[in-house]
Amino acid sequence: MYRSQKLAVKYLAAAIALFGVMTITGLLSSYYYINPDFLFGVLHFNIAKILHIDTLVIWLLMGFMGAIYWFLPDELGREPVGIWLAEILFYVFCAAVAVVAVVFIVVQYGDSNQASLWLINQGRKYVEAPRWAALGVVAVMAVFGYNVIGTVIASRRMTGIVAVLMVDLIPLVALYLDAFPAVTNMSQDLFWWWWLVHLWVEATWEVLIGCIMAFTLMQLLGTSRKIVESWLYIEVALVLGTGILGLGHHYFWIGTPNYWLGIGGFFSALEPLPLLGMVVHAVYDAGTHHMKATNRPALYWMMTEAFGNFLGGGVWGFMITLPQINLYAHGTQWTVSHGHFAFWGAYACGVISVAYLVVQKTRNSAQVNGAAWKWSFAALNLGLIGMVGALLVAGMTQSFVERATGGSTLRAFIAGQEDPWFVSGMTLRFVFGLLFTCGYAILVYDLLTLGKRSVAVIAQPASP
Amino acid sequence: MTELHLLETALLLGLYVLLAGGYALTYTLASMWHRSGFRTAAITLYALHGLVAAGIIFWAPLWLGWKLLLVASSLAILAIPSITLRYLERTHGTGSVSA
Repeated sequence: MYRSQKLAVKYLAAAIALFGVMTITGLLSSYYYINPDFLFGVLHFNIAKILHIDTLVIWLLMGFMGAIYWFLPDELGREPVGIWLAEILFYVFCAAVAVVAVVFIVVQYGDSNQASLWLINQGRKYVEAPRWAALGVVAVMAVFGYNVIGTVIASRRMTGIVAVLMVDLIPLVALYLDAFPAVTNMSQDLFWWWWLVHLWVEATWEVLIGCIMAFTLMQLLGTSRKIVESWLYIEVALVLGTGILGLGHHYFWIGTPNYWLGIGGFFSALEPLPLLGMVVHAVYDAGTHHMKATNRPALYWMMTEAFGNFLGGGVWGFMITLPQINLYAHGTQWTVSHGHFAFWGAYACGVISVAYLVVQKTRNSAQVNGAAWKWSFAALNLGLIGMVGALLVAGMTQSFVERATGGSTLRAFIAGQEDPWFVSGMTLRFVFGLLFTCGYAILVYDLLTLGKRSVAVIAQPASP
Repeated sequence: MTELHLLETALLLGLYVLLAGGYALTYTLASMWHRSGFRTAAITLYALHGLVAAGIIFWAPLWLGWKLLLVASSLAILAIPSITLRYLERTHGTGSVSA
């Protein structure tokens, strides 16, 4: 096994651990809606929520990096350049995440000055990490870029997937620099902040997961390089074609010019179309292999990614993307429902699929199957669907009672929060969150013990 | 737009995409396995998708431009599965899959 692949295992293990932190803090955040006095004066809702959404970003990022460090040496036939630096930075990254989490929990907030920005919290959603830690993220991502690009140059080998990956790494690193400016004009601040949040999630991450899925398809199903590369090019063109200007749907109500209503609505409305092609492709691949592979959990999670992306991004997103609907729905639990479903479908399922693939290779298991992954798969997906369904009901109630009927006044906000449909929705979200947490626990058990349990496995030669 | 129109229009828009997905799924299954049940399901789902689109166009209080975009999208949705599948079969060098 390459050193890069050993590092990949560490990154994926850290990602799965942070997935757990995200799950627990999400459960905690959902419980505050049922019992607002919970941990009052000790740990407030805002801190639990920060931990929930920041660990979401970090666990997925670590999962992506783990996947690339796993596939890269096989793809280019050599150890990545500067892998020693990446190994050091992995521990620095983990330590930084732990320190930031402790600061969030213990210190929580500070005065409105530069020291707070540098040491406690940058105050911008999704990228709250203090400036020193944000600089650390830039360093980690820069080294990651150096590992990939340097290896291509050193190996004098270029493949289609790696070319797409290299081009994608530039905006991936550059857009994160947008986390730093502290602009006092809120419209301007949000304008640029959305470049980071939207263009990371709906452009650079989409391309990155596209590359990872292309590698996974080749290893898991033996799909030919020609096929996955041609699809990757099409996906990149379609996703970027609709996704970049789909950014406009975040500009509807933040003080930007009116033309964003048309641009954002138009390109966002086109976003489900490439996802339809993805559904056709997934069904075709599953059909040609009769849903059989040596690694069934990896195959099922990969298929779930295509359908989850379509449902979460396509169906849930389309409900609220046109400006006339979005006027009432933005910022409600309806958006939260869409966000949960889309992140789950587009990214989380893909990372879990890669984790299973890596476990199979590292433990030399000829077959990966058994009962545990099915329980985990069912509990995680049912839990997630239950959560997004409950959030949808709660969000629709908010849009109806608070926004459309009440006109977004404080009294209307309270009426929305006290509405029985909203309360039931938030309670059910917590209940399904518990189911999701059980699914996570089984997933961890399965990943830790696969190939070590009594399930019969046949040893095969280790990869180089 | 009234309060009720808001929820009804949003749900119709979601259903519009969901039925498009159902059509794409069953169209692919029908093309791969040549089963009449899938073909019937694909036709039914696209017809329902068309009905929902018509409902949005004639009833929902959306701006005319969005309604025209939905018409264009419905035509694209009709073509996407067949074009995608043809391309997949060409790149894989296979025809349909037997059961």
